Amino acid sequence: MNAHAGNAERAENNVEYRIAHLQERLAAGELGELGMRVEPRGSAVAVMGTVPTAHCREELLRAVDEELAGLAVHYDIVVAEAAAPDHPEEVA
Amino acid sequence: MIRVAAVGDIHMGLDSQGLLRPAFDTLPDCADLLLLAGDLTRHGTPEEARVVAEEVTGLPVPVVAVLGNHDHHDEKPEEVAAVLNAAGVRVLEGQGMVVEVDGARVGVAGTKGFGGGFVGRSGSEFGEPLMKEFIRYTRRCADGLRTALDELAGQGCGTRVALTHFSPVPDTLAGEPPEIYPFLGSYLLAEAIDTAGADLAVHGHAHAGTEHGMTSGGVPVRNVAQPVIRRAFSVYHLHGHEAPTTASASAGAVG
Repeated sequence: MNAHAGNAERAENNVEYRIAHLQERLAAGELGELGMRVEPRGSAVAVMGTVPTAHCREELLRAVDEELAGLAVHYDIVVAEAAAPDHPEEVA
Repeated sequence: MIRVAAVGDIHMGLDSQGLLRPAFDTLPDCADLLLLAGDLTRHGTPEEARVVAEEVTGLPVPVVAVLGNHDHHDEKPEEVAAVLNAAGVRVLEGQGMVVEVDGARVGVAGTKGFGGGFVGRSGSEFGEPLMKEFIRYTRRCADGLRTALDELAGQGCGTRVALTHFSPVPDTLAGEPPEIYPFLGSYLLAEAIDTAGADLAVHGHAHAGTEHGMTSGGVPVRNVAQPVIRRAFSVYHLHGHEAPTTASASAGAVG
């Protein structure tokens, strides 16, 4: 293995770049998801945010599993609430 | 009193059919109009727009919308707007609309808006053509919003609401990474709102932001992105006043 090949391998395993590639996939793919926070936390990665439907949550988990394979991932994913509000706000 | 319901960033796809309709069916009991603050679809396809249209078709309250960046992704914003218009939704871009509520005239002025950042931390019309066009585009959106608000004042609207997708203030972005604020809004929108005057400014776009904010001119700002308000919509009660009289309030027909 020459030095350049070693650099390429290190870049491929670089967690920050893997997170960036995941976020590019989430934006460009079926989900069109730009609002997800994906951040390194210690030796793991945290994925946090709100998705519109349960189907979107499944698609998100699948994409994360594929892009961050081998890494520990902490999820905090909420499906958006679709209930009517129970009170208004009086705007002074 | 005017009752304004609002939500943005509902990001509807083909798997979203019927999700919001049960909540929207309660609107006649709690609101006089519904504002949709952009990012109504995921990719801006006409098929997704039809899902949104079905959610609001036949509602007995007026529905007024602006598009968001997601609604532009498929590069067919005119088709998206046409699908929504056919369902009775008035889609605004640099325009205003007057709604009569119990004899009172309520004006809604809308633009998608765009980014650029906030005072002291903003881009400027300098350098590469792309960078200059970025800021000029935001400025055109803000100019359209100000003109529409002015015209609504001239049409005797005692209550005026500014509807955008991008944020006019940084307050309602709290919770988002500060590094991305310039992609979330622009002070040019707030300056337009403060110059023309408004009783409320409503926006979306910032999913991790907070609901409450205010322009430096004192106009209440609400981030109604669905992930922020955590319900199908929010309702704001506005207490109208006499139609404003400003030097620029003599404009004619709205946009």
